[in-house]
Amino acid sequence: MRGFEWTEPDTITGALDAAGGQAAFLAGGTTLIDLMKLQVMRPSRVVGINRLPLTGIRVDAKGLHIGALTRMSDVAEHPEVAHAYPVIAQALLLSASQQLRNMASMGGNLLQRTRCTYFRDIAEPCDKRDPGSGCAAVGGFNRAHAVLGTSPHCSATHASDVAVALVALGATVDLRDASGTRTVDLDSFYRLPGGTPHIENALRPGELITRISVPRLPWARNSAYLKIRDRQSYEFALASAAVALQVRGRRIEDARVAVGGVATVPWRLPGVEAALRGRPPGLRTFEHATADAADGARPLTHNAFKIPLLRRTLVRALMSLEP
Amino acid sequence: MAEPVVGRPHNRVDGPLKVSGRAAYGADHSYPRLVHGYAVTSTIAHGVIRAMDTSTAERSPGVIAVYTPFNAFTIHPVEGLRAPLQDTAVAHHGQIVALVVAESFEQARAAAFTVEVDYDERRPAVSLAEEEGNARPIPPVMGIPPVVTRLADGVPSITAALADSHITVSAAYTTAPQAHAAMEPYSAVVTWDDGRFTVHNGTQGVGLQVQTLAQALGVTTDDIHAVNPFVGGSFGGKYRPNAEVQLAAAAARALRRPVKVVLTREQSFTGTVIRSGTRQRVSLGAAADGTLTALSHRALAGAVADRESAELSAQRTSLAWYAVPNLEVRQTSVPLNTPDPTIMRAPGEASGSFALESAMDELAVALRMDPVRLRIKNNATVHPYSGLPFSGKHLVECYRLGAERFGWRRRGTRPRSRLDGEWYTGMGMATSVYPGFRNPATVKVGLRADGTALVSCDTADLGTGMWTVLPVVAAHSLGLPVRRVEPRLGDSELSPAGSVGGSCGVVTVGPAIMAAAHNAVAALLSLAVGEPSSPFHGLDPADLRYDSGRVSGPGRSMDFDDLLEAMGRSGVEALGTAAPGDESERYVFDSFGAQFVEVRVNRWTGEIRVSRALGVMDAGRIVNPKTARSQIVGGMIWGISAALHEGLHLDASGHLVNADLANYLIPVNADVPEVDVHFLDHPDTRFNPLGSRGIGELGIVGTAAAVANAVHNATGIRLRELPMTLEHVLAGLD
Repeated sequence: MRGFEWTEPDTITGALDAAGGQAAFLAGGTTLIDLMKLQVMRPSRVVGINRLPLTGIRVDAKGLHIGALTRMSDVAEHPEVAHAYPVIAQALLLSASQQLRNMASMGGNLLQRTRCTYFRDIAEPCDKRDPGSGCAAVGGFNRAHAVLGTSPHCSATHASDVAVALVALGATVDLRDASGTRTVDLDSFYRLPGGTPHIENALRPGELITRISVPRLPWARNSAYLKIRDRQSYEFALASAAVALQVRGRRIEDARVAVGGVATVPWRLPGVEAALRGRPPGLRTFEHATADAADGARPLTHNAFKIPLLRRTLVRALMSLEP
Repeated sequence: MAEPVVGRPHNRVDGPLKVSGRAAYGADHSYPRLVHGYAVTSTIAHGVIRAMDTSTAERSPGVIAVYTPFNAFTIHPVEGLRAPLQDTAVAHHGQIVALVVAESFEQARAAAFTVEVDYDERRPAVSLAEEEGNARPIPPVMGIPPVVTRLADGVPSITAALADSHITVSAAYTTAPQAHAAMEPYSAVVTWDDGRFTVHNGTQGVGLQVQTLAQALGVTTDDIHAVNPFVGGSFGGKYRPNAEVQLAAAAARALRRPVKVVLTREQSFTGTVIRSGTRQRVSLGAAADGTLTALSHRALAGAVADRESAELSAQRTSLAWYAVPNLEVRQTSVPLNTPDPTIMRAPGEASGSFALESAMDELAVALRMDPVRLRIKNNATVHPYSGLPFSGKHLVECYRLGAERFGWRRRGTRPRSRLDGEWYTGMGMATSVYPGFRNPATVKVGLRADGTALVSCDTADLGTGMWTVLPVVAAHSLGLPVRRVEPRLGDSELSPAGSVGGSCGVVTVGPAIMAAAHNAVAALLSLAVGEPSSPFHGLDPADLRYDSGRVSGPGRSMDFDDLLEAMGRSGVEALGTAAPGDESERYVFDSFGAQFVEVRVNRWTGEIRVSRALGVMDAGRIVNPKTARSQIVGGMIWGISAALHEGLHLDASGHLVNADLANYLIPVNADVPEVDVHFLDHPDTRFNPLGSRGIGELGIVGTAAAVANAVHNATGIRLRELPMTLEHVLAGLD
């Protein structure tokens, strides 16, 4: 860890004024401090934002609104979230550990960096950490890496669970900088790595996520998050699925489907959603609708199993919903 | 006679210290003027350091010294240990190549990141599979040659014996390299004061530590005082002082200041020692009734110096487990560019039992025979390699009792015949065997005028329960309550009891405690008749009796503390020594067990979960059932970990890619079911007067095979590679 300047403003404008350049915002610190110790991130200034008035959970006619500094545990345990959006509560409870969830903020969770081991080791080439240096994962150990949305420069998976649930539900994020606030679809907020894997999202330098909003969706009560991993807790997904089904009279009226652990960004599957609509819920429909879910997948040396796993995870998640 | 103390459950006497943070582990020690060393590790796996630029580090705030292979103090080579910073060779990724010493840990760490190393890189050998062609037989171990062939009269070769068998199974198995991953990181605090070192660090034996360090530092053993009463897990990793201890000591002497070196979690993975992975082939031949007719077990592991291997998968299992007329065991090794392979809990048995016990299950399937029956049928009544009888073997009782307690008869015989919701369920079992080792030990026992007793020796408690064993055995021998006995251990100035390793702790120390207690009582009685101020003065010692803290003679009886007080003595103490005799020429002292496991395998996504586990163990007399149970449970959990989670991954460049606890998976609570442990009660006084046998390693032996066998029973999928991650299951699902 290197020396850095520390400020902790009380107001949003104060935080935005202190930001920019080589500054980093610090909320729960569960990613940033790790990466600073490893010298993967080397901000010259760290702006503590925990005093900002950006916490709270509100449900209104438009949907669910979550302040960006609300802790993961507070959202996971919120009765209305658990009742109206089980997929969100489940995705949070299957993330990290209780201790980490008590610290980590919702906004920070959406921005958490990949767990790619080569990204986290400054002795290794990594186009995400050090653009132009190359990618060690392609020829390295890449069992946990992505098969969807990859490029020759980066196959690192996006590590967040709740982002998968939020993308499935069509969530938006409010972004604020000195010039004002804008609202962006979370799905388009994330950027595919392409030739610029160091640019992970639409945030401008010094811009802050202030709020996450999920549209009202009464049938999201019939939703679930399934996470498949190498141990039953405190581990990232090999594959995960966020699913919601609106079923009326043995017919699927609408569906929301996204997957995690297999792609460089939270990966919504509109083709699967379309293939589910109008059909009766059940194994035949689910297998048929997910048949092409991994279309375009590009496996590396050790992660080809994620292609069948992705589909199996989707089928199992859909089977767990109310028919 | 007081109630027997041995054999009843006792809480850990060190428990309150540990849960309240008052137990000081090695790195918890501090001294005035203490400085901090931070290691710099290699970023390549094989090559030579051409040059290092330490100029920025040397100018960094707080930095006192930067030691590299180009300027370091001398550390003498000790056989089997790598002397750090003594040459420019890089043998593995993450090897310690420099030590930055600064006033604070943070200053040392910041400066360490500025050290630049220029390497001449060479191709590393990282894969056992790719290096198999370079494998060579290992040197003999404890008199056993690398290839052992035993054939019945007239049988020309093991190949012929297999070919002539009614039925054969033959398969290859692999196990992953593992890190010891103890909770306490590798660390050391060393002071050098007027020519004398004081060393604090986790170790399995202060005596061996002092000897090894004395050689490395070029001093006598009298110049080193090791004080390490608490160890946060070792499992073989801290058996000998690794680089961090040698560096802290050498730097303390060079700088004439106390030095603390704490490896980071990542460095604890890469900069120390590991368990080698293995590649094995087991071939079994049997008659139609299941009687084994031939057994061939070939095993390859990573080599230590001179092609020795610590992971003797074939030797440590197949030479000892089953009665078979034709037997061949072949043990080879190959050098790899990994952290140095060393012993880890059940070295050889843990990996070897996976292959042998999986193969036995495959044979049972081929024979359509119950796996428990197959093992009972082939139970060895004499040790197959030595021909000696066992001192006490009740393995068949373990099988039968385990099968009954586990509900084995409810096991399905057709794969995928048991489905619970979306989970296939199945049961598997395996045998556990671990050999009995015992060392000589000298223990001191004292009786004190305040009514308490003292028991001390230089043994170690790695978290195993030795802190409690000392007072329990002493209290038992003296007829006192455990709370009146004060234990001391982990200090090289105490009487020598050797290192703990090979599950020998209790059987080494226990008999010596009994002897010392006997001698302390004799000393008390001799004093009682000899001291003029004693009420028993002038009596024949044979007229006195000691029982449960009271001394009785003709016409009077008093507590030992009153007697000591009457004599004006603060206490009386005596040493007692116990050592193995020639009994190992007559018996083999193995411990035995049978393990039963139930698994659930998801029909869609293939995850394996262990839902129940039982171990029935035959390990002689159990001194403290409470901590003994923890030993077996801990071993079985590690076995589940080896089966499903754990393994070091090296990529093609030799980079250890999962060198932290986020990526090196060990089970969390959610992965571990209720583990049931049952001990048979057959004291083994042929082995030692206490009647105990080793239990520290027995629990891990066989578990992984029991899990694999249960997966096969549940799904029909045979997994022969550890860890058994879900992609291997997916390949076999519909």
